[in-house]
Amino acid sequence: MHSFWIDLLVAIIKILVILGIALGIGAFLTWVERKVAAHIQRRPGPMVVGWHGLLQPLADGIKLLTKEDLFPRYGDKFLYHLAIILALVPATLVFSVIPFGPEFEVFGYKVKPILSDVNVGILLAFALGSMAVYAVALAGWASNSKYPLIASMRKAGVIVSYEVVIIFAVMGPIILAGTLSTYEIVQKQIEQGLWYIWVQPIAFVVYMFAALAEMGRVPFDVQEAEAELVTGFTVEYGGMKFGLFPLVEWYIEGLTLSAIAVVLFFGGWSPINIPFVGFVDPLFFLGGLSPFVWFILKTILLFLFILWLHWTLPRYRIDQITQTAWKIMLPLTLINLVLTAVLAPIIWR
Amino acid sequence: MIKKVAAKPLSWIERIFFIDFIRGLRITLKNAFRKTITTHYPYEKLTPPKRFRGYFAHKVVDGTEPQPAFQEWVNRYNIQVEYGKSRCVVCLRCKRACPVPQLFEIEGKKLPNGKRVVSVFNMNMLLCTYCGFCVDACPVDCLYQTDIHETAGYSRKDAILTLEILEQIGRDWQLRREREPDRIWIDDEQRQRLWAENDVKLPKVQEGV
Repeated sequence: MHSFWIDLLVAIIKILVILGIALGIGAFLTWVERKVAAHIQRRPGPMVVGWHGLLQPLADGIKLLTKEDLFPRYGDKFLYHLAIILALVPATLVFSVIPFGPEFEVFGYKVKPILSDVNVGILLAFALGSMAVYAVALAGWASNSKYPLIASMRKAGVIVSYEVVIIFAVMGPIILAGTLSTYEIVQKQIEQGLWYIWVQPIAFVVYMFAALAEMGRVPFDVQEAEAELVTGFTVEYGGMKFGLFPLVEWYIEGLTLSAIAVVLFFGGWSPINIPFVGFVDPLFFLGGLSPFVWFILKTILLFLFILWLHWTLPRYRIDQITQTAWKIMLPLTLINLVLTAVLAPIIWR
Repeated sequence: MIKKVAAKPLSWIERIFFIDFIRGLRITLKNAFRKTITTHYPYEKLTPPKRFRGYFAHKVVDGTEPQPAFQEWVNRYNIQVEYGKSRCVVCLRCKRACPVPQLFEIEGKKLPNGKRVVSVFNMNMLLCTYCGFCVDACPVDCLYQTDIHETAGYSRKDAILTLEILEQIGRDWQLRREREPDRIWIDDEQRQRLWAENDVKLPKVQEGV
């Protein structure tokens, strides 16, 4: 009975920490994105609120909360609000299977920095990720307006194509690791002394493309398409309800998909890898904290790379996107699977 | 004959290694670490050129009127000329030149000594298109467009320029910039700091030419 209460306490602490990270960092990333975008276009970005506009997300939040709450005539009120929940909850839940670092001991009690180390972690992550399509479709339908409807249909088309591709892409690392648990995948990479990016470059590229499509980033942001669809499926939402959609889609999903990419391809919390030889850790002086710093550093770098792509590339057309998915990406992942099957015994040894 | 130019198709190497993506990414990265070129508006302001078409002004009588035109018009209409007051001779040419004439409300009055003077000169800036025809039409260089461009107000009444306001703006303008040489931008040094890569070398203009 005693250990049950400790488990509960640990779980609650983990939940609070993860929620804090997810929502706090998510809001803060709006500032990061605006800064990156601004500097790419040679502007300084937000500069007024706080040091270099650091408190801008807070100001935006207050502004959104105090705005008028509009509801479209003849819209479906239940689905309209359900869409917000369906967008926020699954995207945040994905954090529960992301391992932030190796097991450590507090007061003689072993803690894994992962909320629930389920043995189908990756599957759960992508199952929850594909729930996003319901949120978008419902938001488009319940708004009773043409732009959201077009946008949600587009997004549904994109997600349906790229869900297939992303699963086939992550199958390579899963075969190499021989497990679906995120924690175990990282452990395997450390045991084998190999980041899977070195043997799975095709899978990584395909994963990145699919991730961009999932989180609705350029070049796949057809559901936003500011020039054609205003802002896509969020047109009829106002105030904080509007603020939640980009927060979830661009930042929370962006973070989770980056984190999963780090877990699958960049060895999670392991330091810099030399293939088949071992790991070099330039941050050794941080001691026990070093794995956590590595994990966060890699995730942030990957997220910044996504931002960099977003503010560089133009947008594809919807038919081009789905064509790329079915005609190029899917065959590529199948070829990658065959190659992986040949390679796997060498890696397993 | 129309020459048709197709975009060069990507080679296989370019397709496989995303060469065009990488080129674009390189450009954005290079720009991301360069100095920003914007002015931080409410805190930093650029001075518009002298020819800027901003708010209107009535230049006042101060001895720099265009002669002999000014004296001719004064004689023709028997205008009372007073130092420091509007040069307006109530010829209504501005109203005639205007594409939205109803925005002008001009009246003159007769003084006890028989001379005339402008009494009402209202401009409704809500209707104005800032085309500057009235300024071109003014025969005595009275109506003028200044560099004042921050014209937001709290009510529609704030957008009406009366004779007093016009004269006030005119005095201010004549004090600040009347004697300045006419060139496109007065703060070229500022601009050169912002657009350093353009490196425009403009000839120095002597004051008062």
